[in-house]
Amino acid sequence: MVFNSRHLPLQRFLVSFIFASFFVVAGPIQAGVAEKKTLGFVVTDWNTAMYETLFMDECPEGPTPGNYEIWEASVTPEVRRSYPLMLFTKLRHINNRGRNGVNVCDDPVSFDDPPLKIVEGKYAYGIDLDGNADGTATPKTCEHKNFTSLNGAPGIDNQMYRLMGCVEAWKSYGHIENNANSHRLSSGLGMILIEVTNVDDTANDDSVQVGFYRGIGSYNLDSSGKVLPYASYGIDHEDGLPRYGDIVSGKIVDGVLKTDSADVHLPFFGNYQYMNQVFRDMQLHMELPLDGKPVTGSVAGYYGVDQFYSYVRGMLSTFPNRHKFSCPSIYVAAHQLADGHPDPETGDCTTLSSAFKFDAVAAFINHPEQEERIAGSGQTSP
Amino acid sequence: MIPVVSHLRQWVLLALFVFAGLGLTACGPAEPVTESAPPDMRRLTEEQYRNIIADVFGTTITVSGRFDPLVRTEGLLAVGAWSTSVSSAGLMQYEEIARSVAAQVLNETNRPLFAPCQTSDDTAFDEPCARQFLAKVGRVLFRRPLTDEEVSARVSFARRAADSLGHFYDGLSFSLTSLLVDPEFLFITDFTEPDPDQRDATRLTAFSKAARLSFLLWNTTPDDALLIAAENGDLHSMDRLSRHVDRMMASPRLNNGVRAFFSDMLEFNKFDVLEKDSIIYPAFGTAAVRDAREQTLRTITDHLVTRNGDYRDLFTTRKTFMSRPLGMVYQVRVKAPENVWEPFEFPADDPRAGIQAQLSFLALNSHPGRSSPTLRGKAIRNMLLCQRVPDPPADVDFSEFNDPNSPSKTARDRLSAHATNAACAGCHRITDPIGLALENFDGSGQFRAVENGAHIDTSGDLDGILFADGAGLGQALHDNPATTSCLVNRIYAYASGQSLSSRNEWMAYLEEGFAADGYSITALLKRIASSTTFYAVAPADTSEQEFDLAANTSPVE
Amino acid sequence: MGIRYPYPTSRRALLRGVLAGSAITVGVPFLDSLLNSSGTALAVGTPLPVRFGTWFWGLGHTPGHGVDAKAATGSGIGFKGETQALATHRDIINYFGKFNAPLDGRSNYPHATGWIASRTGTAPDKQDDVPAPTYDLLIADKIGTRNRFKTIDLSCTGNPRHSYSARSTYNRNAAEVSPAAFYGRLFGPEFVDPNKAEFTPDPRTMVRQSVLSAVKDDRQKLMRQVGVSDRAQLDEYFTSLRELETQLEVQLQKPAPNKACLVIDPPQDDGVQGNETGVEITRVEASHKSFARILAMAVACNQTSVFNVVFSDSNSSLRRAGESVTHHSLSHEERMDPELGLQQQTSWFNTRSMDALAVFIGTLSSIREGDGTLLDNMLLLAGSETSFAKNHSVDDIPFMTVGKAGGRIKTGLHINGNGDPVTRVGLTAMQVMGVSIDSWGSRSLQTSKSVNDILA
Repeated sequence: MVFNSRHLPLQRFLVSFIFASFFVVAGPIQAGVAEKKTLGFVVTDWNTAMYETLFMDECPEGPTPGNYEIWEASVTPEVRRSYPLMLFTKLRHINNRGRNGVNVCDDPVSFDDPPLKIVEGKYAYGIDLDGNADGTATPKTCEHKNFTSLNGAPGIDNQMYRLMGCVEAWKSYGHIENNANSHRLSSGLGMILIEVTNVDDTANDDSVQVGFYRGIGSYNLDSSGKVLPYASYGIDHEDGLPRYGDIVSGKIVDGVLKTDSADVHLPFFGNYQYMNQVFRDMQLHMELPLDGKPVTGSVAGYYGVDQFYSYVRGMLSTFPNRHKFSCPSIYVAAHQLADGHPDPETGDCTTLSSAFKFDAVAAFINHPEQEERIAGSGQTSP
Repeated sequence: MIPVVSHLRQWVLLALFVFAGLGLTACGPAEPVTESAPPDMRRLTEEQYRNIIADVFGTTITVSGRFDPLVRTEGLLAVGAWSTSVSSAGLMQYEEIARSVAAQVLNETNRPLFAPCQTSDDTAFDEPCARQFLAKVGRVLFRRPLTDEEVSARVSFARRAADSLGHFYDGLSFSLTSLLVDPEFLFITDFTEPDPDQRDATRLTAFSKAARLSFLLWNTTPDDALLIAAENGDLHSMDRLSRHVDRMMASPRLNNGVRAFFSDMLEFNKFDVLEKDSIIYPAFGTAAVRDAREQTLRTITDHLVTRNGDYRDLFTTRKTFMSRPLGMVYQVRVKAPENVWEPFEFPADDPRAGIQAQLSFLALNSHPGRSSPTLRGKAIRNMLLCQRVPDPPADVDFSEFNDPNSPSKTARDRLSAHATNAACAGCHRITDPIGLALENFDGSGQFRAVENGAHIDTSGDLDGILFADGAGLGQALHDNPATTSCLVNRIYAYASGQSLSSRNEWMAYLEEGFAADGYSITALLKRIASSTTFYAVAPADTSEQEFDLAANTSPVE
Repeated sequence: MGIRYPYPTSRRALLRGVLAGSAITVGVPFLDSLLNSSGTALAVGTPLPVRFGTWFWGLGHTPGHGVDAKAATGSGIGFKGETQALATHRDIINYFGKFNAPLDGRSNYPHATGWIASRTGTAPDKQDDVPAPTYDLLIADKIGTRNRFKTIDLSCTGNPRHSYSARSTYNRNAAEVSPAAFYGRLFGPEFVDPNKAEFTPDPRTMVRQSVLSAVKDDRQKLMRQVGVSDRAQLDEYFTSLRELETQLEVQLQKPAPNKACLVIDPPQDDGVQGNETGVEITRVEASHKSFARILAMAVACNQTSVFNVVFSDSNSSLRRAGESVTHHSLSHEERMDPELGLQQQTSWFNTRSMDALAVFIGTLSSIREGDGTLLDNMLLLAGSETSFAKNHSVDDIPFMTVGKAGGRIKTGLHINGNGDPVTRVGLTAMQVMGVSIDSWGSRSLQTSKSVNDILA
């Protein structure tokens, strides 16, 4: 069950109802009843889950070339020499190498760039999102190749990895996601807060609720730049209602939180791009620590092709060529690899199965007009 | 060589008439006939200096420089101030600070605010303006009106300096500098005069009384109303003086006085050089350190002044204030935004209760990278109970007890080794059982239930009272008679520079009064500030034969 | 008490001179012509000034791991182990071994008695009691009054109270803790470059002097109004005032040029992070290195003749990042390594302290002055407060002199004190620096025996 507060009046009402019910459940008037705990977290690091081998075996054709290399290979030495010498100007020209100076990202289908080099390996992170082990098309999915998980489970759906796994700048050592993470930490933008409520038992609880919010303000960092646990964060809200704030149900099994599949909106900032990301059919897995130490978690779900392309496009128009991929190749490949949520009219899939990893630390989440809510992390608060 | 000035002053018996029926104190016994000390002088503390500059010229004037350190005496820097002079390097700093303050006060932005008139021509010397400015500022800085002669001397100095520098305000600025480096500003001096009501007796001048009162209650120079009262002779009437006490007690500036006293007593000057390892205690960064000090001072003024609470409850109260940086160390939710404080109360079952369980106390009395039950125990004995813990013997081999292969995991295990050594056991027995109750809090004051994987036992005892944890220690402090007698002793030493034995009749009177007033600090301050003893002086030994007045005359003039 | 300083001319006369617009400008010929042919003295006959400094570190050496013991005084110092870094400078060092601090039954206040006894000549009766002035101040009274700063006190630990220079218990010098702030004070607007050809006395300096004079005018009146004990307090104040007056007087005269003096760049990495200083060893070292560089110029530019450097406090609170124990705690708690005969971590800090001293010596000796280095015209007295920190022993505390004190002393010697009072070292230093004193110290620390072996 999912409610998104920005949508329908009915949903607003229901969200309000749920919030109100928290007062009752968690509030002090429940003395005598075992107290419901609330666990808060702030996400400190967010990355596409990339399975990387030492010699890049997953990319038999090697890393995908960047816009510059594609251009360089496509023109004669004479043309090459005719371009401006100043690197930045030159790159801008290369970026606008379409007919009549069209930007490569603005009209990606008008280029005949070589196809993107994609992942051909066997293994990937992620989960079996469609419940279909062989990757054949279903009413909800398009035909695609499945991966095997690292512990041997078949049917892993992760077309995002297949798409981006051979883009060097996107890998764990590349600059794209590392930049995005450090931009978030220094700016406080795109801060994701996760709140687990209605917890009776932090080890095993078959019914909890998990809320996703955007935090406002700065991250609280220690002198070495790490995010400190147990800081208090406010949430972004309008008229007392969170701008984000999807709430999904889940459970805790042996100290690991798992949410039910649901659509979830999460804020994003990185590489100077802002997004309200939608994860379709998202499931979250996260260990719940008891000592304030950083925790790791993962989310799997379907990520919109258009949404993803808009990020790529924004990035590339800001820093032409730095990112070592080209818009046309990505655009074409992303549509070809899309495996989820077929368009009812065309039948073309519109989303990419995907998996992300994140790190988080314990935090207190301050809700608007929620003065009565009991403080306490529910974990190690003395 | 210059003799070392001892803080122990010679006592002279002075019979005082107790004015019955003045109703100066809330309740309790009448003020006893007691002794009084000869007049004395003390150097301004750094905080007093800063407060005065802020009061006189506003908080936009920055005071940056290094002040000669005061030596903590009888537990207080304020007592050390009564024996402290100014070193050569220290005076150089005072002179630099004075010039910087004077230049700021009379710069183009500020001079319309402070200089009472405007000259049209900055190169011309505006005598009435200079006179008015120097007389007005001199009165506040010297805590008495300057005589016409003194003003004239400063004005003529300003004129000479202005002539030489070619600018009126430069001259005025140097004249202000001369006030700021003057010993009458830098030292709070007990000036005396014959007491017209008693033959052969001496009394403080009204202005010296005003200074005593003002530095006690507000930790700053007397305000205009108090100076006027001194000029009118009102302060020689205990009745009228007590009205000023009431007025000053009612002012929010009383908080400054109370904060200054407790900052001194709790040795908060150590915050200036407090260092914690940022790898071991990442959350205890600069902002948390700053706020830890402020948190305790807020707790104190809120409890003792705003709520007029029982001093003893300071060691059991769960009420405090929280800020965002502190929330991370205490691991609690803070709803207030950045840079805003919010009232906070620890739950009733929380091990934190009392200011001795706040970060300020816990972190100050620890090592940079670990807690110290011994330092904490010693601090409680010294600071809160006025009990002296002997220094450790010089020749003990501690390494006997620190075998790296030993199974000791907790501080209690490690310290228990001391009990086996007679030379150590004596002292550790009086510190460790107190400090161990706070072992739930690490070197930064953060809560921990275990150390090196072992459960922490926080049981302990204070003078035979057993307790299970830090909150129990707080209750034991609350109930310990030394807690309140120590406070009375410290506060009077702070007020007068004199540390008296509890057997002293005056101390006994104050202690009884403190109890009768429900251990209210404000009542105690009022009792002291309204007493005759606080202002009484024995005649000074001003014999000239011990001092060659001619010795230091300038060789050229 | 009166100390009379001959003023070359009346301040007010100077002031009037400025007032009349007749600023004094002194043209100076080429610097070289001012030095005599050997470069050891100014041509006019004034020898290069001899300066005095102290360098303090806490917790001494591990016995047997500092300097080879010697049965008798002789040349050649056996630097080894913790002091290995000093070996390259052995020719300009004298090492003093086996000098003791007899306490006549007084308590040995850990980490206090050692420095107080050796620096004041009197063992304290109470913790932190400073019963007499420290020798650096007695030397400064003699040679420091004609400089802009009578003494310069530096603490590399970030704590201004880590200073072992005091006139009395209640009159202590606070140390400068920030190299940047020190640089600012030194080379700020009041700095007069001695090598500048032009010299114009600053009228503001004259006015500053007059400020002090005006304050002094009220002295007698004030003295009469206060009691005897307060007069002592005031007297210290007025002594300080007169000293400051004299220092300002110096600034009104054309300083002697010195080629060694350069206005260096401000400190970059000075161990200060933001506004924070601290006792983490790498920060202390960075701060010390910066201080050394600036201090060398303060000396070369004749801004001071006396300085005190505190590398670590007597309770050495040095620590390593991420470690829960300090140098001091380690010295007591760390187990002796039975094979090496030392406490490994403690010894590591001892070694780093001596490495720092070597850096300090290297910095001073890198400055050319005349035909030698700054150290040729300096007496640096380096010492600690204990010989073996583990048991707080105040006998055989390591002391060294560094430099040739303008040719007044011989160097390269290991002096064996045979249990004589440590005050002999301080007495000799004071005598070398020209203090008229033939006996110093009290009770068993009293001595009139100079260490003649080092006198040239």
